[in-house]
Amino acid sequence: MAHDAAGAVGARLSPQVDSLIRAAQRGDQDAFEQLVRAYDQSVLRLAMNLLRSPEDARDVYQEAFLRVYRNLHAFRFDCSFHTWLYRIVTNICLDQLRKRKVRKEEPAVVETSEGAIDRMEAFEEDAAEADPERSMWNLQLKRKIERALEDLTPRERMVFELRHYQGLRLRNIGEMLGTTEEAAKNCLFRATQKMRSVLGDFV
Amino acid sequence: MTCDSVSKLIPLYFYAELTPDEEDRVEQHLHECRDCAREMERQRELAAALDGRQTEVPHRLLEDCRADLTAAIQGGAPRREPAKGPWSLFLEALGATFAGMVRVRQPIGALALIAVGFLSARFLGVTPHETSSLSTAGLAPSGEVFSTVRSVQPDPGGRVQIAFDETRRRVISGSMEDENIRRLLLAAAHEENAAVRVESVDLLKNRAAEAEVRDALLNRVVNDSNDGVRLKALEGLKPFAADPAVSKALAQVLLTDRNDAVRMQAVDLLVTRRDDSTVGVLQNVVQREENSYVRLKCEKALKDMNASIGTF
Repeated sequence: MAHDAAGAVGARLSPQVDSLIRAAQRGDQDAFEQLVRAYDQSVLRLAMNLLRSPEDARDVYQEAFLRVYRNLHAFRFDCSFHTWLYRIVTNICLDQLRKRKVRKEEPAVVETSEGAIDRMEAFEEDAAEADPERSMWNLQLKRKIERALEDLTPRERMVFELRHYQGLRLRNIGEMLGTTEEAAKNCLFRATQKMRSVLGDFV
Repeated sequence: MTCDSVSKLIPLYFYAELTPDEEDRVEQHLHECRDCAREMERQRELAAALDGRQTEVPHRLLEDCRADLTAAIQGGAPRREPAKGPWSLFLEALGATFAGMVRVRQPIGALALIAVGFLSARFLGVTPHETSSLSTAGLAPSGEVFSTVRSVQPDPGGRVQIAFDETRRRVISGSMEDENIRRLLLAAAHEENAAVRVESVDLLKNRAAEAEVRDALLNRVVNDSNDGVRLKALEGLKPFAADPAVSKALAQVLLTDRNDAVRMQAVDLLVTRRDDSTVGVLQNVVQREENSYVRLKCEKALKDMNASIGTF
């Protein structure tokens, strides 16, 4: 299970982050840049993992940090900055995932969106040469995983992403998504069940 | 605790999201019940399979994002236009065309032709100079200079010493007969920018008779991360399907490429030749391929060659 550093970084650096935020709120551009750099890798990784498209991840990054830039003055330290930032980021990502669900209904576009996935995963082709049998299995598993993840609702997908890949706690995830820990638990359970039913023979 | 209630708690147990009390009870049950222990094992296997999917963020992407943001903040507006550029429109057109390939095969050529015309015009510039070499006549500095500052050093006298690298953009134009142009195109086929690669491969694909160009196309068809580039390279290799190196690459593409349109193209090329050496590959594909067009093509080719569809 991958544990993301963002939460930990946020917590460990809390005093420094707080002073960066205050400086940035006063208009200090350097402080804002440092603040961005403390979190932007994990934001980009989240967007990339969810959307599987460098172009879309780039859009999410830009929109998220511009919103942070415009609204930082309104941040009142009543939750952690990490939670506040992820509320913005997850909202933008959820919008993108929902838009995709709608687009999916037009069959011609499916290929295009899969194309984006393929472009990203091509670097693994080197391994394919080494052992075609194994790579064929991996390739099929990979396709199944993509299909399984596509079966999830945007919200289930998000909860699963944040818990499994980013290593955040469900209580925290609930807070980010504006819901309860209980609802996040249900989401995670449903997501796991759905994936197990699709991936049944493979794992 | 019943098996039913434990199975509902297994994912949460795996992610350590149960209360200590619940956790204790689940653990107790797993210790005693083989079926539920097996369920827990499956949960672990699922998680392990999903772990492999995590993507690494290309360093370049992070740099680009940071530059975008700085520009947007300093300029007061996003630097990137939300409108789609010609590249994404082209890719979309390509994607949409191939998605509908099984249903309507006719318009593909027409669309590709328009795209080719448009791209070659863009790549070669608007003024068709009669340059035959990279001599001064063919090289026109466009005046665009890109600097990367390497160091900044203030001296006690109040002056500053700045070291920077300078990259100058130059525009050359020439015909495809020009060896220098071809050489640049071969280099451009490996450029980081996918749009440049697709344009270069598109221009090179009609020259696959030259061994050097064919090698470049073979390399792209197997290694390029971009679907558009791989499709273009395949197109160029079409007349050489009988070449052993080409048919080997086609087999590899058919077995490993993730894009349906690419595999569909590859199978079309591979089955035009009735060659016994392809039987093994085709049988392999029939067994594993998920795309029905590709599978049916292979089955038909095997039948035509009087080979069995399955392996024994």
